[in-house]
Amino acid sequence: MALNKFRTKSPWILHYNAGSCNGCDIEILACLAPKYDIERFGMINTGNPKQSDIMLVTGPVTKRSRERLVDIYSQMPEPKVVIACGSCGCSGGVFRGMYNCEGGIDQYIPVDVYVPGCGCRPEQIIAGVVEALAILEKKTKDMEGSVKLHNDPIEQDGQTNRREVAAVI
Amino acid sequence: MSTQYNIPVGAQHISLLEPLHFKFTTENEKIIKTEANVGYVHRGIEQACCSKFKFRQVSFVVGRVCGLCSISHTTCYSQVAEKLLKLDIPKRAKYLRMLVIELDRIHSHLLCLSHVAENSGFEALFMKTMRHREFSMELLEAVCGNRIQYDFSIIGGVARDLRTDVAQSILDKFKIFRPQLDELVDIYKTNWSLSLKNKGIGVLSKEDAIRLNVVGPFARASGLGVDVRNETEELLPWKEVGFEIITDTAGDVHARNMVRLKEIYVSMKIIENIINGLPEGDLISDTKAFPEGEAVNRIEAPRGELFYYAKGNKTQVLERLKIKAPTFSNIPAMVETFTNNEYASVPAIIGSYDPCLSCTSR
Repeated sequence: MALNKFRTKSPWILHYNAGSCNGCDIEILACLAPKYDIERFGMINTGNPKQSDIMLVTGPVTKRSRERLVDIYSQMPEPKVVIACGSCGCSGGVFRGMYNCEGGIDQYIPVDVYVPGCGCRPEQIIAGVVEALAILEKKTKDMEGSVKLHNDPIEQDGQTNRREVAAVI
Repeated sequence: MSTQYNIPVGAQHISLLEPLHFKFTTENEKIIKTEANVGYVHRGIEQACCSKFKFRQVSFVVGRVCGLCSISHTTCYSQVAEKLLKLDIPKRAKYLRMLVIELDRIHSHLLCLSHVAENSGFEALFMKTMRHREFSMELLEAVCGNRIQYDFSIIGGVARDLRTDVAQSILDKFKIFRPQLDELVDIYKTNWSLSLKNKGIGVLSKEDAIRLNVVGPFARASGLGVDVRNETEELLPWKEVGFEIITDTAGDVHARNMVRLKEIYVSMKIIENIINGLPEGDLISDTKAFPEGEAVNRIEAPRGELFYYAKGNKTQVLERLKIKAPTFSNIPAMVETFTNNEYASVPAIIGSYDPCLSCTSR
């Protein structure tokens, strides 16, 4: 499908700061700038979760930002890839065990790529994003594989009932 | 009275680097009331510094309060701990601290300027400023070993020496950067499309600046000459290395841009003076004492006055550490300055405040 080609050639990224120190965020900004230029992979920073394919999250998840994090994640359409940027995004880092921190993004949403480092370098972020592209392609293929239905839809009360139909990929 | 609408901005928004929530009440595109909500990034660093970490480790933890001005945090904590330990640090260490603080200021100001340009809708200027900013990140990496989160200041001195070839490369890169900065000043000063979004927008008068207790470039753009570098001499000798205060009178977004651009020239002059007159000596002076008593310290971070209070009780762990970040002082003025501006100019005004929420809520 043509859409798949464009999705992998031009994934749009969404950036969310879940309580980071800004260090990784300015490195993400530096990635968008001319020296590292993440746009040569077709990536554009969007502010809209409904248009994004890749989510870049930084920071240990603070107790106030976790609801927003899950909210934004659930607004993104499938297929989606989550990249945890920085040591504190991967595991909590230096903030692990502080009373208002949850210790890592994977406590709340599934993370596909971990980018370590405090703060993570732009080269590392680009390597992580390129890795995420392969995962995005795989997820797309999985989603569009042939689907076999468990049960046939049944006629009930004069209309077709599809509620009992379970799909196996 | 016409209809009023409530418009939320944040916590996640394209023009915000950090989770920050504004609730605007608008009437015919004009903002009449603003509420700010800044506590999304509270992590509990102060409590952890007083319970989990030993006082020598704390200087690395407080650097993680903010990634943009981490050197200001580590230096300010180191100074307050040195006051508790009654420790004098070598002169070379003082000069190297000033060098890295000023390099950090250059990169922070250029980031803020590029952010203002992007939020004003001038994407090409954002890219240009970010391209010219990269040299300062390279220099910081050469001096400290990391692009951000350089744990350069430690208790008693600094962690690394300045190599002579690195010092020479700083001077060489400044020679390349100075004409680029002149070009940037020209664009920010005279570009007509940028002036539509910047001139006369988000005005804070001098009286309001005094009343609302504003600090940093935000205050200096309103004509209020507050700068900790101008006031304190005993810990870091700013006057010796050629510091001068920059102020503007207009108090709008354009004036804030101009103050930041002119401060970059001052920072470059300070760094050149430091490298040319770097005293010889040790990098660190050590002691086996434990922190005792109370102390306060102030330092000028890129966003304004940073304040630390510490209390020790002769053990490895501090009894209390209090951090008051510059943006915390600026929030009342930030909220008030939005009033009577159009909703469309909000992103540019937020960018010009240069807010640092991870400092504010720690």
